[in-house]
Amino acid sequence: MAGSDTLTRTEEQTSLDVPWNVIVHDDPVNLMQYVTFVLKKIFGYDAKKATTLMLQVHKLGRSIVWSGEREKAEFYVQQLQAHQLKSSLEKAG
Amino acid sequence: MKAMPTLEGGLRIDTEDASDWELLRSIIADANGCEADLASRLGALISEEAGSEDWEEYIVPDLREGFQDELAQVGAAIEAAIHHASGAAGPIWITPDDVFPWYSSLNQARLAIEEHFQFGQREIGGLKKLTPERRAAYLRSQFYSAVQGLLLEHVMK
Repeated sequence: MAGSDTLTRTEEQTSLDVPWNVIVHDDPVNLMQYVTFVLKKIFGYDAKKATTLMLQVHKLGRSIVWSGEREKAEFYVQQLQAHQLKSSLEKAG
Repeated sequence: MKAMPTLEGGLRIDTEDASDWELLRSIIADANGCEADLASRLGALISEEAGSEDWEEYIVPDLREGFQDELAQVGAAIEAAIHHASGAAGPIWITPDDVFPWYSSLNQARLAIEEHFQFGQREIGGLKKLTPERRAAYLRSQFYSAVQGLLLEHVMK
C-alpha cells in the first residue's frame, strides 16, 4: 500500500451568542415599591428605569428587565428569585 | 398591636396581649404552610430550554436554605421577645440589620397564603361571606402586607 499524506484543515467560525432575556412576572403579592427596590438593588437601575420596568410588570404581566449573556442572566434570575420575585430566563428573539 | 418607626431607623412593634404574639408566630406557620415550598414554586418557572434540571439540582436547594434561614432567624426573634415579655404585652424590634429576613419572612407567608387561597375580588367585596379560615388567612395577609409597607417606607430606604 502506497504511503499517503493526510492534510488537516482547521476552520474557525465565530458567531455571537444569542442573548438571553431575564423576565420578571407579575404576581398578586409582591408590593410595587418592593419590586422597584429589588430592580434598583440587583441591576443598579435608577429609580426612573426601575419604576418603568415595575409598571410594565404590573400592567403587562411581565417585563424583560435585562438581556445579555446566559451566565449573567442565570445569575440575575437567581438573585431575583432569592428576593422572591417570580422570574425566569428565555432566549431573546 | 401598634407599630412605629424608631429613631435608629428600625421599627418597633408593641403587642398588647398573647393573641398578638400568636399573630406574629403565624408568620412562620403560614410561610411553611404550602405543600410545595417557595424555592420549588419559583424553580418551576424555569423552562427546560433554560436548564430546569440543573436549576432544580443546584439553585433550588440554595434558595430553600436561604428562605429557611430567614424564617429561623425571625422565628427565634419572636420567641425571644415572647420569653422576655413572659407572654404578656411587650415590644419587639426590627432593626435595619434585621430588616431583610423580616421582609422575606412576611413575604413568604403572604406568598404561601396566596398560593393556597387564591384571593380575589370577593375578599375585597365581603369578608363576612367568607369561611372563618379564609377570612382569618385574608386578614393575616393584610396585616403582613401592612408591616411590609412600614418596613419599605421607614427601614428599607
